Amino acid sequence: MPSYQAPLRDMRFCLYDLFDGDDLTSLPGYEDFSRDLIDPVLDEAAKLCEEVLHPINRSGDEEGCTFENGVVRTPKGFKEAYDLFRDGGWTSIACDPAYGGQGLPAVVNTLVEEMICSANLSFGMYPGLSHGAYVSLSSHGSDALKEKYLPKLVDGTWSGTMCLTEPHCGTDLGLLRTAAIPQEDGSYAVTGTKIFISAGEHDLTENILHLVLAKIPGGPKGVKGISLFLVPKFFVGDDGSIGARNAVACGSIEHKMGIKASATCVMNFDGAKGWLIGEPHKGLRAMFAMMNTERLAVGVQGLGLGEASRQNAVIYAKERIQMRSLSGTKAPDKAADPIIVHPDVRRMLLTQKAYVEGCRALAVWVAKSLDVAKKHPDAETRKEADDLVSLLTPIVKALMTDLGSEVANLGVQVFGGHGYIREHGQEQYVRDARIAQIYEGTNGIQSLDLVGRKMPDGAGRLLRRFFHPVSEYVAAKVEDEVMGEFVQPLAKAFVRLQQATAQVARVGMAKPDEAGAASVDYLRLFGLTALAYLWCRMAEVAQAKIAAGEDDAFHQGKIATARFFMERLLPETSARFSMVMAGGKSMMAFPDEAF
Amino acid sequence: MVDIAKVAVIGAGVMGAGIAAQVANSGTPVVLLDIVPRDLKEGGDRSAVAKGAIEKMLKTEPAAFMSKAAAKLVTPGNIEDDLALLADCDWIVEAIVERLDLKQGLYAKIEAVRKDGSIVSSNTSTIPLATLTGGLPARFAQDFCITHFFNPPRYMRLLEVVKGEATRADAIADVSRFADVKLGKSVVACKDRPGFIANRLGVMWMQAAVVEAFERKMDVEDVDQIIGRPFGIPKTGVFGLFDLVGLDLMPHVNASLAAALPEGDMFHEMNRPVPLVPKMIAEGFTGRKGKGGFYRVNREKGKRKETIDLATGDYRVTKKADVEAVKVGSRSLAKLFDHDSEAGRYAWAVMGRTLCYAALLVGDAADEIESFDEAMRLGYNWKKGPFELIDQIGTAEFVRRLEASGLPVAPILRTAAGKPFYQIVDGKREALELDGRHNVMTRPEGVLMLEDVKLASQPVLKNGSAALWDVGDGVACFEFTSKMNSLDPDIIALLQKSIAKVKRDFKALVIYNEGSQFSVGANLGLALFAANIAAWPEIENLIASGQQTYKALKYAPFPVVAAPSGMALGGGCEILLHSDAIQAHAETYTGLVEVGVGLLPGWGGCKEMLARWAKMPKLPKGPMPLLAQVFEMISTAKVAKSAAEAREMLILRPADGITMNRYRLLADAKAKALSMVEGYQPPEPPVFRLAGRSAAAALAMAVDGFWRQGKATDYDRVVSAAVAKVLTGADTDMLIELTEDDLYDLEREAFMGLVKTPGTLARIEHMLMTGKPLRN
Repeated sequence: MPSYQAPLRDMRFCLYDLFDGDDLTSLPGYEDFSRDLIDPVLDEAAKLCEEVLHPINRSGDEEGCTFENGVVRTPKGFKEAYDLFRDGGWTSIACDPAYGGQGLPAVVNTLVEEMICSANLSFGMYPGLSHGAYVSLSSHGSDALKEKYLPKLVDGTWSGTMCLTEPHCGTDLGLLRTAAIPQEDGSYAVTGTKIFISAGEHDLTENILHLVLAKIPGGPKGVKGISLFLVPKFFVGDDGSIGARNAVACGSIEHKMGIKASATCVMNFDGAKGWLIGEPHKGLRAMFAMMNTERLAVGVQGLGLGEASRQNAVIYAKERIQMRSLSGTKAPDKAADPIIVHPDVRRMLLTQKAYVEGCRALAVWVAKSLDVAKKHPDAETRKEADDLVSLLTPIVKALMTDLGSEVANLGVQVFGGHGYIREHGQEQYVRDARIAQIYEGTNGIQSLDLVGRKMPDGAGRLLRRFFHPVSEYVAAKVEDEVMGEFVQPLAKAFVRLQQATAQVARVGMAKPDEAGAASVDYLRLFGLTALAYLWCRMAEVAQAKIAAGEDDAFHQGKIATARFFMERLLPETSARFSMVMAGGKSMMAFPDEAF
Repeated sequence: MVDIAKVAVIGAGVMGAGIAAQVANSGTPVVLLDIVPRDLKEGGDRSAVAKGAIEKMLKTEPAAFMSKAAAKLVTPGNIEDDLALLADCDWIVEAIVERLDLKQGLYAKIEAVRKDGSIVSSNTSTIPLATLTGGLPARFAQDFCITHFFNPPRYMRLLEVVKGEATRADAIADVSRFADVKLGKSVVACKDRPGFIANRLGVMWMQAAVVEAFERKMDVEDVDQIIGRPFGIPKTGVFGLFDLVGLDLMPHVNASLAAALPEGDMFHEMNRPVPLVPKMIAEGFTGRKGKGGFYRVNREKGKRKETIDLATGDYRVTKKADVEAVKVGSRSLAKLFDHDSEAGRYAWAVMGRTLCYAALLVGDAADEIESFDEAMRLGYNWKKGPFELIDQIGTAEFVRRLEASGLPVAPILRTAAGKPFYQIVDGKREALELDGRHNVMTRPEGVLMLEDVKLASQPVLKNGSAALWDVGDGVACFEFTSKMNSLDPDIIALLQKSIAKVKRDFKALVIYNEGSQFSVGANLGLALFAANIAAWPEIENLIASGQQTYKALKYAPFPVVAAPSGMALGGGCEILLHSDAIQAHAETYTGLVEVGVGLLPGWGGCKEMLARWAKMPKLPKGPMPLLAQVFEMISTAKVAKSAAEAREMLILRPADGITMNRYRLLADAKAKALSMVEGYQPPEPPVFRLAGRSAAAALAMAVDGFWRQGKATDYDRVVSAAVAKVLTGADTDMLIELTEDDLYDLEREAFMGLVKTPGTLARIEHMLMTGKPLRN
């Protein structure tokens, strides 16, 4: 059986030491969120994840969801776990206190989400989707809708969904067919079929609120004519009581590679009554409010699964004995040395550690920026933070899920054959991690978002929020006696990133295919450079801690991991740079018949 | 041949006063007469009307006068006391109200005082010449013609000239030459037919557009998008143009044209009533001069932009036009016409008919197709004239469409027989004549167009943003070809190459292009992007290479003449400053505007302006006055609104020339360059004695004063301080001699300091996004 122990030490390092989490209390509305309040939240979350959610992860995967006569049942133990989760107030931690939420900073919520993803991603999908629905409804819904539906969505009595995809339309929402016909009472009759709807139907909550994208006939064509509707599974009386069933039903559930305990439903809307959220034809805007936080959340899924796989790989590599060390016996009392002595196993474990901890730092940076963007009193500071979040969102989503997948794969490799069989749980992480690279906008789409939208925005204004601090950091530290070792490789990668950025921007303006061809490698180059910057910062903080007397294995480990990252992982930027600069001709000029 | 040396304009309305101003702009003295005010009080000024018109012109924007000095060349008077002033005038322009009796009464008075051989013309747009001269003596008729200017006379380059049967050919030649060379007009000869060319066709076009739109209940914004960019028509469109000229003019213009045109003229079919228009006029919605027109700004609702609904007559919020047919038809007019939508059908209904009408007018309003095209390009700012548009569709295809929709096919279209109206043979442009032959289009003496050179030859050097051409007689022409002619690394690189090339293979270099703007300055988008990704070495390198290149241009062993027209801003101004001479089109708008985007002139602009002012003998001794002049100019981003103003700012030196007619600019610049070839010596490098920190402190105090009064912003102080540091030489004093290179270094250093500052980046971004400066 796999194990899971929440990485609270590293989380606190990122939160408090690296990004100065103590200054959260200086943001208006966050005055109460000092360590005294945050630490117990993290401890409790860890306990819940380790003791309640993790134990039903593998069983949930084995059993999966079942569908019978339109009813979906979650695996054994999920209902009980959800009740504990809801009663513990976990559905409401990141929600507005005005609707019964606890208003926790995004940065704290992000760490809690990581733990949930590590422990049981399938389970996390249900409250995760509810939160997405909460964000859209609370930021764009009318007061009447909010008052009626938000409190029970926040307290977890009800759950939510996001209904976007249709059988013929996924990435390209302009092709939507689901129609919403205005009714005399101000509601709409929604008709159409939605697929791939996570948590579309289940037995965890008494009601489900579907947020549905549909077109009002006669509106503008394409994505400009999409509206967002709230369609409840059961009607709700003015007193909040559950009424008759709405004309929405689950047609079937999908049989998937991973996250099997998460119900992925085909939803049929057959003249279902719905209410408009926001303005007609502005549904995409309402949806994007949710999409950006969702993309960050999906990035964290990659991080969480990578962390879980990594922990088990470390334990296994220390226990499993096989062969002797190449440089001579290390455990003479045993029949063989533990495999952690072997260079390639160490390479794999360090790769996992460097990626996972780097991604955690990235997630905390972005989540903290999200808090600043929301709460800082100065408009210019808010704008800068918002720019940084916008810029890094596709990178968080794509890089962290790509690396999560790679880390989970390494986790199988460390286990050898024992990783490939189901018993140890390592293969489940690979399967579960795979979807994160696909949904919420494939990683290819994230890369296009980066080069096509984020890069040209404001003639590169969003880029400034990353390039200027890094440029200043490099200039200040590159000659530093202690830090030079880390900052010099960063400086090289950064120059490559600058050149690649100029190149992609230049050719992309004239030939969009060129920008598209470069996009995935460019995002990776960008992401790795961002991790290099964060590893420099982590090494620097660790140096300072050691100098201040906190000389322990944790801080030594940080410095050593930073060194490994710079020497063994960052050189990939050189290859990615070459790929970007090579241009897309070899792909685009290739005859379709020859594939 | 008589050279017109003095002019009179009678009638000081918008047109008359504007014509007088343009005459004055050419440096020619002009008499401006109007009536004695009817309700004149005892002791009042009997010339108040003409004087008032001059006063008013000195205040309006865009300005009628190119300089204050020009205004002094206008002598105001009245037609009762001052007719004697006409005695020595070579040309007398009548621009009074469109009433035959009044005009003829005035002509009789003019006839009594004017000298032999002087020319009289009318600016009428509605009364036939034959009618105007009816019953007047032969002496008058032989010296009389129509000169029809467009509003505003300074800026609209079209002049329609109508010769009467009795008019002396040399009178037409004299007026045309003066209008061309001195007033900068493109003279189009028209027959004595109603509306001449531009308005005959233009009014038909506008009427067709409004009637068809009204009857189809189209959205005004959609119409302006359809009858806009796809046809190369300014984005103001038709309704925007109505608002500009005034809705109240419409009924009068239509009525007079309808009265003058014979039965069977296509205009009559289109002259259908649009009930909304009289209602709008009655309620005061006469256009921009009134309460608004088809578009208005609703000040009660926070300056909300509103548009009238043609169906209901009510105003609603202006929408952004997004016409599918326009997108589909952006490359092909056929696709636009064929688009199965009201927009597609409307496009053909309006433009098909307009082009059809243009073809019918050949032989009637004028014989040459190029006259129609020139008239619509310069009179209505169309990018392409009607026959160029028909060529774009294809003459055969156009005839097919006309026949399919039952419209008449003009003889000239039959004559074309499927051949294009214009064709290029052996690098020369040819136009179809009435007899069915294509004849080579010739330019008047003294006109040289780069456009023609480009048709007939290959560039000597070329890259993505610039080209070098051989314009004959050993003169090379450097052309910017980038978007808006913004300066980028490619231009600098090619300029550098060109210097070496010209040195080897040519005698002189002219820097000139035929874009609507000479250059808007450095490509800010590229600069901002580079700054955003912290590409500091690249930016510094661009500044340094620009400095080196401009310096190489200045000291090249051959004369360099810059010939700007339109905007020459920032780096585009600095290239003028590094040239040996400037031959500027009169409509040149130039200045060092870098502070507007939080930067300062980094390609030698600060240095050259210091050197120019230092040579001014007029200023009192001491460093401060000259420094203050240069500082004020740069730190307020002052732009000259004409070549004459640029001369006042010393961007043009006394020996630099001004060309009034855009078409003559290259030939003038080339002649100037050739005149400098013999014995050419590059200029002596200047040295600078600057006052250092104490002077910078004094300038800072002045800026602080403006800041306290709210006239300068917080960030203005930062930018001004950087400018002051460069202009005062930083750590120097009057005893130290600084070189040109020292100044370049100071500029570069200050530039790099600013470009790294958030305030500057915010300014650049704002300028790029909104087109307006940010006052941070």
